[in-house]
Amino acid sequence: MIAIREPRDFADVFKYLGALWREEGALRFLRICWNLGREPSAAGAWWKSCLIVGVVAGGYSLYMLFTVGHASFNTSSDGVNWGLAIATYVFFALTSSGLTFIASMPMVFGFRELYPIAKRAIWLAIITLIAGFSVLALELGHPFRMLWAMPTGLQVMSPMFWMGVFYSIDLVLLLIKFYLLWQEDWDSPLSHFVGTASFVAVILASGMLGLVFGSIVMRPMWYGSFTSIYYILTGALCGAAATVVTTYMAYDFDRAKMPPVLREMAEGDHMPKVFATLIGIALVMILTRFWTGLWSNLDGLEGFHALARSPLFYGEVLIGLGLPFLMMLSSRIEHKPGMQMAAAFLVLGAMFINRYEFIVGGQLVPMFKGTWVASLTEYTPSLTEWAMTAFGFAIALGLYALGEKLFNLSATPQSLMVARAGDRRMAH
Amino acid sequence: MAKWGMVIDLEKCVGCQACTIACGMENTRLPGEHWQDVIFFQEGTYPNTELKWFPRPCMHCENPSCVAVCPTRATYKTEEGQVLVDWERCIGCKYCMIACPYGVRFYTEEAPRYGGPDLKAVFPAADAHSWSPPWKAPQEDWKHGVGVQPHDVVSKCTFCYHRVSKAPKGTADLDPSNPVMREYTPACVVACSPGARFFGDLSNPNSEVNKQIANKNGVRLLDHLGNRPQVYYLTGVGGAIPNTHTTKA
Repeated sequence: MIAIREPRDFADVFKYLGALWREEGALRFLRICWNLGREPSAAGAWWKSCLIVGVVAGGYSLYMLFTVGHASFNTSSDGVNWGLAIATYVFFALTSSGLTFIASMPMVFGFRELYPIAKRAIWLAIITLIAGFSVLALELGHPFRMLWAMPTGLQVMSPMFWMGVFYSIDLVLLLIKFYLLWQEDWDSPLSHFVGTASFVAVILASGMLGLVFGSIVMRPMWYGSFTSIYYILTGALCGAAATVVTTYMAYDFDRAKMPPVLREMAEGDHMPKVFATLIGIALVMILTRFWTGLWSNLDGLEGFHALARSPLFYGEVLIGLGLPFLMMLSSRIEHKPGMQMAAAFLVLGAMFINRYEFIVGGQLVPMFKGTWVASLTEYTPSLTEWAMTAFGFAIALGLYALGEKLFNLSATPQSLMVARAGDRRMAH
Repeated sequence: MAKWGMVIDLEKCVGCQACTIACGMENTRLPGEHWQDVIFFQEGTYPNTELKWFPRPCMHCENPSCVAVCPTRATYKTEEGQVLVDWERCIGCKYCMIACPYGVRFYTEEAPRYGGPDLKAVFPAADAHSWSPPWKAPQEDWKHGVGVQPHDVVSKCTFCYHRVSKAPKGTADLDPSNPVMREYTPACVVACSPGARFFGDLSNPNSEVNKQIANKNGVRLLDHLGNRPQVYYLTGVGGAIPNTHTTKA
């Protein structure tokens, strides 16, 4: 009988699935796929839930898109053109970029103690990018036309063109990087080159995503190179939060099961402090952005007043960022696993709100539309838009469970383990 | 090569919206999808208020931000100055709508905002068109964004490309009072009963549009943004263009 084991390469995945099908028969094969293994497991339950949510939400989205079309969105030419779906795409794309930054810490900058989270971070970066692209494809009017119209148009003036180029390069490099780690190639010149190239690509991709908004002088709430820096740094925060959550999940929320290098990191002072620093940077950027927005009389910044009146803003800043910031600074609770996880969850929630608020807020000021000039436009996402967001989360979380089950995401280079053992012997 | 432009004399404009109706008929627009809108707004605070109105076609900018942001070059500027959309290249990303400071672009797939029936559902199309109106103007040219558009693309005022592009070379003015030029003149200009609209060649110093701009101090909407519209407004004493995007008390 074939055991569930990590496939050796991409071709092996299909060979393995084919062998499993032949050996087990169609029904049992499907049951194994449904359970993600022969025995029930936490990852299997996670996978099943995501599959159900994905099929329901994705099915509903597609049904609405095929029957009603994009008119099932609450976006409108008169006001908010880009709604929740774009906010979801930006959230996933920047989380992916942040995860690539985290993976680059050991692979590019030599923080070798972070090697045990590198492979997981890269897998997560791949699947969050896939989730983001999937939601974006459903949002676009003609996603398939994009595949030929963008390369043949070559509109080098368009930030969106470059965003597409850099995120595509990013995805390819992530896949190569994951393949190399899969083959346990941690230290070869090729591995280092791909790691460095991937880091450069992801800086360009997330920075360019910022410029999609930052280049638009007509929307002063977005305008400026600040948006690029803001996206890169808050992306790093999302990546760090996603790493904390998934690392704990991978070891059953139990530090005792972690390899010593990781355990030391989770118990030490550095990780909470780095996390607090990233939250602090995000807070400073968000609050200074709101300060200038609320203070200035410039036409087009009125949206900041509407955002500052929204309870979402206070939830984001006080509960989603302020509270975790204090938690990660307090020497009494910063080491507790539950607190670290809670902080990471709160940060991810806050950053999702932040993406929504950034994108929708920037369009609240109308542009000479309608027979009567409105003061500010209103927007509430439709059920179809929410379903697309749920679909995106189901893809990301479901593929995460699949990755945990299929691959050894906690893989660590042998040399690191040997070196650590040597360190400990020396200490004794 | 002509560089087509429009002048709208706000002192003459009576806010009748005949331009909006004529544009809708000429270009087979849905209700609410007003390529040529007239925006009403209020100036001053009660009791010293005044109702103002402001006709707003596409500005067909010299430096169009919509063209620069379009990732597929579906939006482009012709040699004669019209900013058009190639509906066979448009992917419906709506970035041009985000980048246009004048709000003149419309996405096809939207629920009706005017409270009436969804005419696209009442008159569905059996082919690639987004709807099949019971009556429509005969011209159709998707490469230039003319006619009833397909699904999921962005549409906008074409400066009546299907009429203007047929004008004889070297024409300085497309004046609807001249029977020879009338059929080449944009529908909104033809329909303007007070004669508030002028259409002609901005590159010809003797054209009526250039004379109007020079003599009556023509201004452009949101000129500080640098898009350099090819639509000029004559504000005179009685007319006004909105200073801000929102109506502030």
